[in-house]
Amino acid sequence: MSRFTKRRVIESDICIIGSGISAAMVAQKLARITTGKIVVVEAGDEAPPLRQRYSLRDRFLQYGESPWPNDHLDGYEIDGPLQSRSMQVGGLAMHWGGVTPRWSPEDFQIRTRFGIGTDWPISYEDLDPYYQEAEEVMGVAGEQGPAAMDPRGKPLPMPGIPLTYNLKLLKDWTTQAGITMWSQPVAKNSRPYDGRAECCRNDTCTPICPIGAKYSPDFTWDRLRKANRITLYPRTLIRRLVMDESSTRIASAEAVQRGPRGGLRGSTPVEFRAKQFVVAGGYVWSAHLLLLSQGSRAPNGLANRSGTVGKYLAGHRSQQAQIALPLRLYPGMGAHHSLVTKQFMRAPEGSRYLRHDLRVWESSHEREPRLRDDAGTPLLGDAILNDWRKRTATGVARVRAYYDVIPDRSSELTLDASRRNEWGDPLPRLVFRDAPESAALRGYSNETLRALFAKMAKAGGGTVLGAATGDGGGWQDHPAGGCRMGTDPSTSVVDRWGRTHDHENLFVAGAPTCVSASCANATLTFCALALRTAEEVAR
Amino acid sequence: MRFLSRRAFVGALAAAIPTASLIRHAHAEAVKRISGDASVLQALGEAVLPSELGDARIASTVRGFQRWIVGYRESAELLHGYGTSKLEQSGPTPATRWATQLDALDATARRTHGQAFAALTMTQRRALIQSELNALKADRILAISRAPHVALALLAHFYGSVEATDLCYDASISRQSCRPLASSTRKPLPLAPTRRA
Repeated sequence: MSRFTKRRVIESDICIIGSGISAAMVAQKLARITTGKIVVVEAGDEAPPLRQRYSLRDRFLQYGESPWPNDHLDGYEIDGPLQSRSMQVGGLAMHWGGVTPRWSPEDFQIRTRFGIGTDWPISYEDLDPYYQEAEEVMGVAGEQGPAAMDPRGKPLPMPGIPLTYNLKLLKDWTTQAGITMWSQPVAKNSRPYDGRAECCRNDTCTPICPIGAKYSPDFTWDRLRKANRITLYPRTLIRRLVMDESSTRIASAEAVQRGPRGGLRGSTPVEFRAKQFVVAGGYVWSAHLLLLSQGSRAPNGLANRSGTVGKYLAGHRSQQAQIALPLRLYPGMGAHHSLVTKQFMRAPEGSRYLRHDLRVWESSHEREPRLRDDAGTPLLGDAILNDWRKRTATGVARVRAYYDVIPDRSSELTLDASRRNEWGDPLPRLVFRDAPESAALRGYSNETLRALFAKMAKAGGGTVLGAATGDGGGWQDHPAGGCRMGTDPSTSVVDRWGRTHDHENLFVAGAPTCVSASCANATLTFCALALRTAEEVAR
Repeated sequence: MRFLSRRAFVGALAAAIPTASLIRHAHAEAVKRISGDASVLQALGEAVLPSELGDARIASTVRGFQRWIVGYRESAELLHGYGTSKLEQSGPTPATRWATQLDALDATARRTHGQAFAALTMTQRRALIQSELNALKADRILAISRAPHVALALLAHFYGSVEATDLCYDASISRQSCRPLASSTRKPLPLAPTRRA
């Protein structure tokens, strides 16, 4: 980028930074309820269109190739457990699993109810209408669980994805084990919905749905662009937000449109000026941008008077097992769909704190064809198939429980001066840490869950083949936080609507605003929070 | 960011072009060898695949494997996982290694039995294959591209297929295929006789 390259200026009423699922929720709502000019800025490239996805899926199935080629920026190898390298129009939700449970009322009041962690400044009841709205925008198919476990104001938009033959057998088994389970709600169409096809169990929901039965943000972007309601700028990296000289309002966003080869060469500067800015870059890039936006009046970055930007990164940990059961199952009927229960979302009185979800899938674990039998005798020809047939006479279930982790203040994103992008900006460094009370419960949580799995196996006359804890490399699943919401500006970044305490025209949407991360998949909650934020932006 | 000097750039370019070209050439040559005379590969298929497939389906499996080899792309971006910022690319073509192994099988057969590999009995073929797998300490069926031996690659190709799963379960599961939602609520139908051996 030459210093003489002319800066392009783009003006709008609302500038949305990021084009992932939270950004899509914000944009579609603002496009619907306001008449303002909306621009959306995305650092990554356009995602391949729907018509190319069967062939991309085929390359993935045959060769393991990414069905989202070039969905990243070069030079972004960062220190710490990044959820995904993906950066493209549509964000990570181009390859999400589409799993959309609501969180539970308990999640928002864990301090009040269990004496641990931090309460949210909003309740489940506050979020209920936005959950509904998100479910309707995306198209969620789900079965209503028992009302005491699974409260909701209105019915789900679509009937649940029907249980496969395998899941029906597994449901009978979990009932024997005293666990009430039902069809996992998912953003996949159980009937044609909103111009998109019905799911046909292609079973590659992650990483790619070839028919568009699973919601992904590109459908929203396509629609909004076709209707001329937004202008989306791909390949445009926002480097910092700039405060107005005479107030605490945000005046502009300094960006660079990446060069034709993706990086520095040929890149051009762009300035986005807007009345309101919505940062919707997920749990990493939102806090990262605020920290990068340092200036003489904001030496620690924008919206950071509390010093909590980048702090309290949250997620959950998991305990998983494979259970052999005396059931004839047929793996491959629908490996992505599962049973779910919220029976364990409320910590029982009198016992130590542990809340968790529980899901059950069909599995082919230890039921794959093999080259040697148990005695180590080599197999070839008919022997492999015969051995495989014998071993598949009975089936295997995969069970997994996410349990919540109370985030510590030092669970954080910071700027890493030793790693910089092509424009010289420091990359983020990520570290996840449990709060002390959560760390003290870790062993108990894992042991209790393993005991639950053993009990389940026994109820079905089965055996646990192996259990594993999901926290490799400090990773916590469904990460969130970094710009947590709260009523106290000295301990939080945004208010209960996602408006930053420090800048009246700067909002953060979705994942970063979470106070904690529950013990269930999080995307629906991110979307509901983003829709609340959009409402406040419009106000 | 630091740019390469012109000299370094030209040097890197000069080094890169022949390497890329050689790799492409090696892949093409290996594909030609494997596709040209398929008798050893076909004989290998007869030895390692289940006999109940019958000649025609073994032949079609071998042809499918050849197509897989032709379609392999080096340095293609692979699916990147969760929890890391690392990217991965596909490795060098396995076809050159596999072509060499096929040649070696045939050469060993001629040396030890005085006949081409394809002319050996099933027992003789399997003994030769097993000896090579033992030497490689192969104990599992890996993803095709990571198979250390062509016999394992062929096994991975077949056993990773929809057809193999259905044959094992004697049921029309048709995994990863477009199927009506309602139909999967029932036990999968048994395979039609034409899909059985």
